[in-house]
Amino acid sequence: MRGFFSRHWYAYAMVLPAVIVTGVLVVLPLLQGAYYSFTNINESNIANPVLDRPASYEFTGLDNYANVLSGDASYGSFWDILLRTLIWTFACVGLHFVIGLALALLLNRPMRGRGVYRVLLILPWAVPAFISAFAWKYMFNAQYGIINQVLRALGLPDPVWLGQSDLALIAVILVNVWLGVPFMMMTLLGGLQSISGSLYEAAEIDGATPWQKFRNVTMPGLRSVSSTVILLGTIWTFNMFAVVYLITGINPNTRLLITYAFERFFNGASRDYAIASTYGVLILSVLLVFASVYRRALRRQGEVW
Amino acid sequence: MAEVAYVNASRVYPGSPPVRAVDELKLDVADGEFLVLVGPSGSGKSTALRMLAGLEDVDEGAIEIGGKDVTNVPPKGRDIAMVFQSYALYPHMTVGENMGFALKLRGVSKPDIKAKVAEAAKMLDLEKYLDRKPKALSGGQRQRVAMGRAIVREPSVFLMDEPLSNLDAKLRVETRANIAALQRRLGTTTIYVTHDQVEAMTMGHRVAVLKDGLLQQCDTPRALYETPANAFVAAFIGSPGMNLKTVPLTAAGAQLDGLEVPLPRTTLDKVGADGLKEVTFGVRPESLGLVGAGEDGMELTVELVEELGADAYVYGSVRIADQPERFIVRVDGRTPPALGQTVRVGLRDHSEIHLFNPETGARIEG
Amino acid sequence: MSLDAASIKATENAAIAKPTGHVKRSRLASFGLHGALTVASLIAVFPVFWVFITSLKPDAKAAETTPTLFNESSFDNYANVLAGEKGAFLSWFANSAVIAILTTVISVFLSATAAYAVSRFRFPGYRGMMLSFLLIQMFPFAVLIVPLYNILLMLGLQGTSFGLVLVYCTTAVPFCAYMLKGYFDTIPRDIDEAGRIDGLSPFSVFWRLVLPLSKPGVAVTAFYAFLTAWGEVAFASAFLSASDESKTLAVGLQVFVQQNRTEWGHLAAASILVAIPAVIVFYLVQKFLVAGLASGAVKG
Repeated sequence: MRGFFSRHWYAYAMVLPAVIVTGVLVVLPLLQGAYYSFTNINESNIANPVLDRPASYEFTGLDNYANVLSGDASYGSFWDILLRTLIWTFACVGLHFVIGLALALLLNRPMRGRGVYRVLLILPWAVPAFISAFAWKYMFNAQYGIINQVLRALGLPDPVWLGQSDLALIAVILVNVWLGVPFMMMTLLGGLQSISGSLYEAAEIDGATPWQKFRNVTMPGLRSVSSTVILLGTIWTFNMFAVVYLITGINPNTRLLITYAFERFFNGASRDYAIASTYGVLILSVLLVFASVYRRALRRQGEVW
Repeated sequence: MAEVAYVNASRVYPGSPPVRAVDELKLDVADGEFLVLVGPSGSGKSTALRMLAGLEDVDEGAIEIGGKDVTNVPPKGRDIAMVFQSYALYPHMTVGENMGFALKLRGVSKPDIKAKVAEAAKMLDLEKYLDRKPKALSGGQRQRVAMGRAIVREPSVFLMDEPLSNLDAKLRVETRANIAALQRRLGTTTIYVTHDQVEAMTMGHRVAVLKDGLLQQCDTPRALYETPANAFVAAFIGSPGMNLKTVPLTAAGAQLDGLEVPLPRTTLDKVGADGLKEVTFGVRPESLGLVGAGEDGMELTVELVEELGADAYVYGSVRIADQPERFIVRVDGRTPPALGQTVRVGLRDHSEIHLFNPETGARIEG
Repeated sequence: MSLDAASIKATENAAIAKPTGHVKRSRLASFGLHGALTVASLIAVFPVFWVFITSLKPDAKAAETTPTLFNESSFDNYANVLAGEKGAFLSWFANSAVIAILTTVISVFLSATAAYAVSRFRFPGYRGMMLSFLLIQMFPFAVLIVPLYNILLMLGLQGTSFGLVLVYCTTAVPFCAYMLKGYFDTIPRDIDEAGRIDGLSPFSVFWRLVLPLSKPGVAVTAFYAFLTAWGEVAFASAFLSASDESKTLAVGLQVFVQQNRTEWGHLAAASILVAIPAVIVFYLVQKFLVAGLASGAVKG
């Protein structure tokens, strides 16, 4: 009988580096962050090694959660922001998927110039997000942005896009869609190409219309790819911080859970780490609930995942 | 060169209940022998081979190569070479690199590797392809590269896991002969796994038949054919398979429809001692034949005739105890009976029958 | 179907050239297809194109209410930015390059080893590993900055590039491992076993056989890790020392934006300079993206 260790030691040796790095830099901070959410920690009472000041924050139990979940405006109107975050997430992921799938279907056809289209269409993914944010901010500028310039030329109204109105939310959704479509498109294109051509031939012989082929061959063939990318896309979009923050800055009309946490964190005189951490824990909880519901739904449809 | 031994070796997959993929396999392979492991899918034949290769754990018992216990030795320390069903050629290396890889890892000098690869390539008619990548080769060529990769290493044991199953029928027969000839020439102990009983019979010095992880019988091809140890081996070896029917016993022998097969006194005594009322009666298609109206025989209604040229196989049914029972009979290929016709079938020779215990399947010696 | 090792490469090629629809189509359909793709490509490229156009204009012309394609255009903005007039651009660039390359190398190493173990060995804890690859992606990293700061301080890495690299690795590794695991699953195990019999240890099977055969998967992983590090702002501003020379491009430009809101021309030029390395990396890996991403997600 050989030992447990001698049987698996190389597997453990290979996962160890990744486990150590993520363990130290993810699990420990997370535990500490979760602990902070039960305290009143902020910039004025945190330990400061530079000033040689010890920590003086106190344990406050569930106060932060009670305050945040009450929906009080001074704690960020949690439920309103949650609703906006959900709208933002589903709008973005829905558009990513639909546009990504449409483009993937077009790109999957044999034609001239396919390689060129593909390179051009993935370009938004390759450009660093803060540069895209800068580009769009410039284009959305109310006075000299190209978008309003075009709208004026067409005789349409030229609104202030990035001001304190829901237009700002629409604008950042547009930008995020532009950013996220390439990943969806490429992944779905890969999924399309993994569907055996003989299935289409069989459907052809059975007399299927193009729509029936799409419904009965393409969509089932994409099931496992789609379920993965939709889950990942939802997680990423829910936590998408850079685009919103860089384009609209602190704007109550584009405030999402993640940007509000960051706002609480970096702005204001007190730098409220406790509330920011509370929001962090709540974000994680919402995503965990979503992932388990999603997973159960997939299970029921017989997906092994 | 080395002998190989499985010493009550088992592979048990955990689960409830645990699956005994290979169950206390006891098998000795002589130096230079070509041993074929054969069985239906799930019989544990590939697992047994992989245990010998070191790719599968041995949970109980031991495995010896050249008299040394290698149960806990990793594959690279066992001095073996293996040909995979998929060939498992390294796609990013040329044919030459594929064949020389093991030698390179062993630190053999470059000119030596080159010489050995060239030698093997010549033997396998691969000289023209040494600089190609595997994807630029045909199936047969890939198969030969896989063989070459094994030969170049001059191992003490060759392991082959269904190496012909990805070839087309004609190439398979040709390669079958080539591998057997190559093995005879090199004289290297070879363990060969296949599900194809024709391959097993034509290639091996001895054939080991497995079922559900248990060794059924291990013997020369002829002995397997003539004296199968149980009903499973009898049915598995031979194509088309043996006719096996469970029939009632009479005072003088076994009763099949109008045909009473007399059994020797000793056999009947033995069967009587076991208290059996029935026996499983086996007869190969070539031991049956068409007989005239007056002779002992069964009435067979012809349902299908397979004409193979020299011979024809007649598939038909006989009513035994009011149940239709299917029989296969080999007849002269020039004058096969017609479909739907009823013919009379009898035994060519009363010694060419096999009897098995209907409960245990074990052979009843006559 | 055979698990032919050589067919891995073949499917990669097929993934690019396999026709699935009718080859013949009407002129109208062809027009619609190319029309739709052209419009989509224009939308994809336009913002970058427009930044480039702007980068050639003097700051004053870049903010005119009736923009034109060219307006006193020149490469002066680039010259100014590169000469360091708008901050220590070249040292920012060097910092970013070092950080991004280190992040790429370390992330690929960490995720590939972990992904290989998960793909090949059924060790106790394997399911937990797979699940945590997914879970870690849910973490709102932006709010973990204070705890991360504390940990880096404890490790003596606060304010160093290496500390920042490790933080980037933790955000890149889970996705990369997830993708690579899927890619490794497409490489037949027979290849590993043939290697073991030819005399390789489990580690060298990974290093000499599986990794060279996984170029598309590794390329995607590397691309993702590079982008993660190249364009990140929040961590970089929190964890690097505040001196101008130690900033990354993203942080430097962010400061630049906040201080010089009107210098659109210079900003655009700097942006283009920042985007160029990312686009080059992208161009190098783009032919692998379809094969790499797909198998990752299909099997993930």
